[in-house]
Amino acid sequence: MPRVLAPIVLLIVAVVASVWSDRPLPMADLVIVERAEVNTVDPHQMSWNQDLRVGRALFEGLLSEDTASPDQRLVPAVAREMPEVSPDGLVYTFRLRPGLKWSDGSPLTARDFVYAWRRGMLPETAADYSNMFMPIRGAEAFVARRAAALAAFVADSSLADRSARAEELWREAIDDFSARVGVRAIDDLTLRVELESPLPHFLSLVAFPVMFPLCEASVSRHESLDARTGRRVWSNAWARPGVLVSNGPYRLTLWRFKRDMRLERNENYRDPRLPLSPTLSILNIADANSMVLAFRTGAVDWTTDVAVPYRAEMLDLQRQFWNEQAALVGELRAQGLSNARIAAALPRDPRNTVQAYPSFGTSFLNLNCSPLLPNGRPNPLADARVRRALALSLNKREITEQIRRIGEPVAGSLVPPGSLAGYTPPVGLAFDPDRARQELAEAGFPGGAGFPPIEFLFRRDGGQDLLAQAIARQWERQLGVRVLLLQVESRVFGERLKAAKYMVSTASWFGDYGDATTFLDISLSNSNNNDRKYQNPRYDELLSRAARLADPAERAASLAEAEQLLVETDLPLIPLFHFVQVYLFDPSRFEGLSEHPRQIHTLARLRRKEPAP
Amino acid sequence: MIGMVLRRLAVLPIVLLAIYTLTLALAWAAPGNPVDRPEGRRPPQAVIDAMERQYNLDSFPRFYVSYLESASGVRWVRDRLAGPVDPQRPIFDLGPSLQYEDRRVNEILADSLPVSMTLGASAILIATLIGVGAGVIGALRPGSFADGASLALAMVGISLPSFVTGAVLILIFGVWLGWLPVGGWGTIGQLVLPAVTLSLPFAAYIARLTRMGMIEQLSSDHVRAARAKGLPEHTVVLRHALGNALLPVVSYLGPATAYAMTGSFVVERVFRVPGLGEHFVNSVLNKDLFLLIGAALTFSVMLVLFNLAVDVLYRWIDPRITGDRA
Repeated sequence: MPRVLAPIVLLIVAVVASVWSDRPLPMADLVIVERAEVNTVDPHQMSWNQDLRVGRALFEGLLSEDTASPDQRLVPAVAREMPEVSPDGLVYTFRLRPGLKWSDGSPLTARDFVYAWRRGMLPETAADYSNMFMPIRGAEAFVARRAAALAAFVADSSLADRSARAEELWREAIDDFSARVGVRAIDDLTLRVELESPLPHFLSLVAFPVMFPLCEASVSRHESLDARTGRRVWSNAWARPGVLVSNGPYRLTLWRFKRDMRLERNENYRDPRLPLSPTLSILNIADANSMVLAFRTGAVDWTTDVAVPYRAEMLDLQRQFWNEQAALVGELRAQGLSNARIAAALPRDPRNTVQAYPSFGTSFLNLNCSPLLPNGRPNPLADARVRRALALSLNKREITEQIRRIGEPVAGSLVPPGSLAGYTPPVGLAFDPDRARQELAEAGFPGGAGFPPIEFLFRRDGGQDLLAQAIARQWERQLGVRVLLLQVESRVFGERLKAAKYMVSTASWFGDYGDATTFLDISLSNSNNNDRKYQNPRYDELLSRAARLADPAERAASLAEAEQLLVETDLPLIPLFHFVQVYLFDPSRFEGLSEHPRQIHTLARLRRKEPAP
Repeated sequence: MIGMVLRRLAVLPIVLLAIYTLTLALAWAAPGNPVDRPEGRRPPQAVIDAMERQYNLDSFPRFYVSYLESASGVRWVRDRLAGPVDPQRPIFDLGPSLQYEDRRVNEILADSLPVSMTLGASAILIATLIGVGAGVIGALRPGSFADGASLALAMVGISLPSFVTGAVLILIFGVWLGWLPVGGWGTIGQLVLPAVTLSLPFAAYIARLTRMGMIEQLSSDHVRAARAKGLPEHTVVLRHALGNALLPVVSYLGPATAYAMTGSFVVERVFRVPGLGEHFVNSVLNKDLFLLIGAALTFSVMLVLFNLAVDVLYRWIDPRITGDRA
């Protein structure tokens, strides 16, 4: 008899041992919940919002975005002051603050920037944002030469000693970089950068994490050469908690996969008096219900995203509360306060814990502009009149008010208005069904007669099915065309867009840096994000003319003209609405989120407020 | 016995090779490029080509052989013979994760497997206690109210999906009563609700197995003999009937433990348990080849090892059993 109990005893021992070995940590001073796991803390691999936020907490570049200022200023960070720029706009000289240290106490010098930028440019690093380095003099040619050398190395099977040859190629690449690429450490505290041509938003790139420094002494310990491909490879061991050496306000002390990440104050940060929350815990909760529950029952200070099924209902409750407080809200608004400040000034209420913030992103429809469809038939959307008809017949307000229901502004342009200082996007096409029918008739399809069915491609997730159905119904009603809805899994979706195997598809774009080109360059005819296969030499010319103009106002005008071509004349894409990001936090207990129009939040500014007496 | 253990362990590599081949072939055929991201700014084509070359994603045979070499430890041994290797480098290298750029598959499994194993072991423990208890009660009075109730409970346990039972338990014990945390991992309290939720279907099955075994045993000759000797009823039930009735339960525990430890995707998601289950599903959706194969191989190893452990236990519990149950 007792023998039969053995499996149970074994199980008990296993459970107790496991629970005992995994002790919980004390509560952090601030708890943030992210729906998506932080993918990487390597600044060169970052592309998601949650990664970039952590990147800005762990590292700091020459300059940083002043998220507290309303005019989107850049301020010196590692640099002592704003750089000295040569009169022709080509040479930038950055002077570093003296005495800066990495989190391990070693000195931070201009050479750490050279090392990091070289790593970011190398084709083997495959940085998502390697393009940001391309304005630097010689960068493009350096990357091309290194890529060609590696390709030749792989193809050459006759090599006797591959390791020696790989080593030789690597030394050549380093020499090539020092000789021809315009990044140089003049001394420990001076970095000189030369550009290919003047680029007014170059400093905005410098403030982006991909251009942050890396501690050469620490990171280079984890690099080696791959004898098969000749590539320089970095083992990920340098980016582990306890190993990662950083220069930002925080250092990484714990990172448990799919669970949590813990940041603690970096004692060697340049500004030791910065009043940041000393420990920061970032939890990863993927499930929509668990996320809301964790906020309601647990000690979560800020939830960075609310799942689609909850957004509309929660925001309805918030509006209801604001309506009850109409008198106070009106009074505060009259004082010129922003929504965020009004929310913080209202009495505490559970309905007031959901907040919608404008976001630097736009939802739109891709229209395939290629002359032929993948099945070889002529593409009716190749005619700009047809594309304009599709745009003019859409009642976008109905979509934002009845389908999305979270107060997203209707979009006429790709660049969200007000998101960039000094740039005013065009207004775009308004809802005009009569003109839409007329354009369609002029294209040879009066009343939709003879128009082949439109295949509308969209993804499985994110509530896109409702959006697609609403749009299809509007087109069918207004234009008399037939729409076939085609829902696919997201990998398949991406693949079909890239190969232009679709007619119409849902799409979205989020800007990266503070310049209109972050939205506009995806429609250049040679862009590999030009899923619409849009080709207009005039558009390409307006963008390249803007790149040559040094005067910010003239440059903005040229870009606005290009965008006007995009959203008022050619319509390779139909802007639908500008996204908002829905946050959960209690404004009476948490503060420090920025109202930056591009949603750059500095984790070091976030704080739990003392409860009101 | 030792011969059986060795024989079974010798078969393991062949099983793994077959599973690897099949999994890779299916995953390779699925649409989508693993190094391409489905949205956002695309890296230049040259970068994608270089990445495909780096991971051998441009050639099935090369990927097949290269992964086999590094996962089986052959590459490590070869490099070790050629010279010193990085002491941090694992012998069995399951490759990088294509989705989580900073992570190796070995690290992901090392982080999440212990969590899933703890959850799975706790669930099986609870399932055994509930299941055996309910089964014995049912068998002692077949057709009684207690039997009906335990049958009904078993049906509920088997038929209700765990996202429903999990949500109900959260609502009752987490939100209304506030006794237990609603999610997370690291404390005993956080283990209770997910373990109970995960245990229910297993408990139901164990209850039916126990009940069947007990009814059979209670009408058998040796139990009748024990009763005839005038032994008290609890001695008859516990010593003479239950021991034998539990044998089918013990043999079920092997695969059940392996399933509970790896198949808890829904429960892990509902209760935010950072376990292995999620990687099974997400690696397929993301076409993260290395993680997908790594997870599949881990599951296979566990299934084989737990079955083996159960067989060893089985013989120890009941020495009459001989021969090789595969």
